[in-house]
Amino acid sequence: MKATSKSLIALSTTALALPGIAGADAPPTVKTLSYKISSYKEDELSRKEAPLGDLDRYDIDVHQFQLVSPLGRNMSLRVDANYESLSGASPWFTSAGLDGNPIVNLSGASGIHDRRSELAIGGSYYLLNGSISGNVGYSEENDYRAIYGGFNGERHFNNELTTLALGFSYSSDEIFPTDATLFNRVSDESKHSSSVFFSISQVINQFSSFQSALSITEQSGFLSDPYKLRDSRPDDKTQFALSNSYRRFLVEADASLHINYRYYHDDFGISSHTADLSWHQNLGRRFRAIPSIRYYSQSSADFFTNIDDFLKPLTEYQSSDYRLSAFGAISGGISFVADMGNWKATLTAERYLANEDYSVHSVNQSSTALVKYTRLSLGIDFTF
Amino acid sequence: MKPITVFILGILIILSVSACTEVRAWERGYLAQPEMAWKPDPLESALNDHIFFSKEASSGGNSAAGGGCGCN
Repeated sequence: MKATSKSLIALSTTALALPGIAGADAPPTVKTLSYKISSYKEDELSRKEAPLGDLDRYDIDVHQFQLVSPLGRNMSLRVDANYESLSGASPWFTSAGLDGNPIVNLSGASGIHDRRSELAIGGSYYLLNGSISGNVGYSEENDYRAIYGGFNGERHFNNELTTLALGFSYSSDEIFPTDATLFNRVSDESKHSSSVFFSISQVINQFSSFQSALSITEQSGFLSDPYKLRDSRPDDKTQFALSNSYRRFLVEADASLHINYRYYHDDFGISSHTADLSWHQNLGRRFRAIPSIRYYSQSSADFFTNIDDFLKPLTEYQSSDYRLSAFGAISGGISFVADMGNWKATLTAERYLANEDYSVHSVNQSSTALVKYTRLSLGIDFTF
Repeated sequence: MKPITVFILGILIILSVSACTEVRAWERGYLAQPEMAWKPDPLESALNDHIFFSKEASSGGNSAAGGGCGCN
């Protein structure tokens, strides 16, 4: 009887530990230290898009550190630290070119140099049929500061075939632009974000699982871009995002298929579709290749304009930020994973192309300065 | 179709699927493969979320939002 109980406990633990059922169902048994370095560079603008000034855009390096460790029998600790440095130029304002088409003027000839440092600490407590987690974080840039925190819980039902999760987070951000007096920018503003999400995960059969999630985020405060010469946005925004994820293991191919789809809508008037697909191909016991492709399309914000109107009163909303325009983006990449037991290395290359012609939404005003970039990443995981 | 309608339909589909499927604990070996996780590489997922947040208007979906950034 005792042996049977032990077997049942072992099987239950195995079931709870299934990563396909939920993200973090059982306490880790080993410590994992991870580091990833990434570098990506945005393509230069064309002279047609920016007839005057520099064409260079952002060049960004990101360093990510993470430690996940068991803490006693039923708890775990997670520490994340990120450091990001960027340099280059950003769109400052748009105007009409000689042919009447929009042209973009980039920020100062010397460009922008910024750094972002972030530290987040979280913990989880594991129950027999679920877990509860919390985290706090702090992020600081030369001109931006965020303090945030959140908690979430998840509960397994239906013989651990179904998992419900509920989470909440809050962030308090402060914006203090550089050269505020020189360029007549705001000197010190703030914004607050509250977010709630709910998800349900379901094992469909022994090869596949499905997850559906809904998140709602409410932002209030200063939501404009202080570095744009003319940018005036509403001071509150509600965002809805509905995502669906599907995982399937294909035994004969020794591979797994990942399909994700997200529908997004906010009350700036933007709707978007995001679909991505990746194929995780095992190559023997130690290696894996992961080709992936992603498609994105969004509509424009109600107040987007591709040529700034400086005659409009400041009380009327307008923005020429390309991120608020209607556009589509296609990106593709490939990762190679070498798993050597205690060590795991992951090398990733990705190319991202945004273009108004890729959008499935109607494009009334096409934006200049849509982004293209190439990214390279190298990640190392060490378990001990 | 409104997002909430799609979400409720998704839940109903999941519940109907779960009603006719039984997968025993010892039949879950394939689901336990690390590459079957919702986020097999958490740092890669976090990086992508951060980059797309800075290049596109959309964010959120499968978790609560973290801290913002002045990503201009």
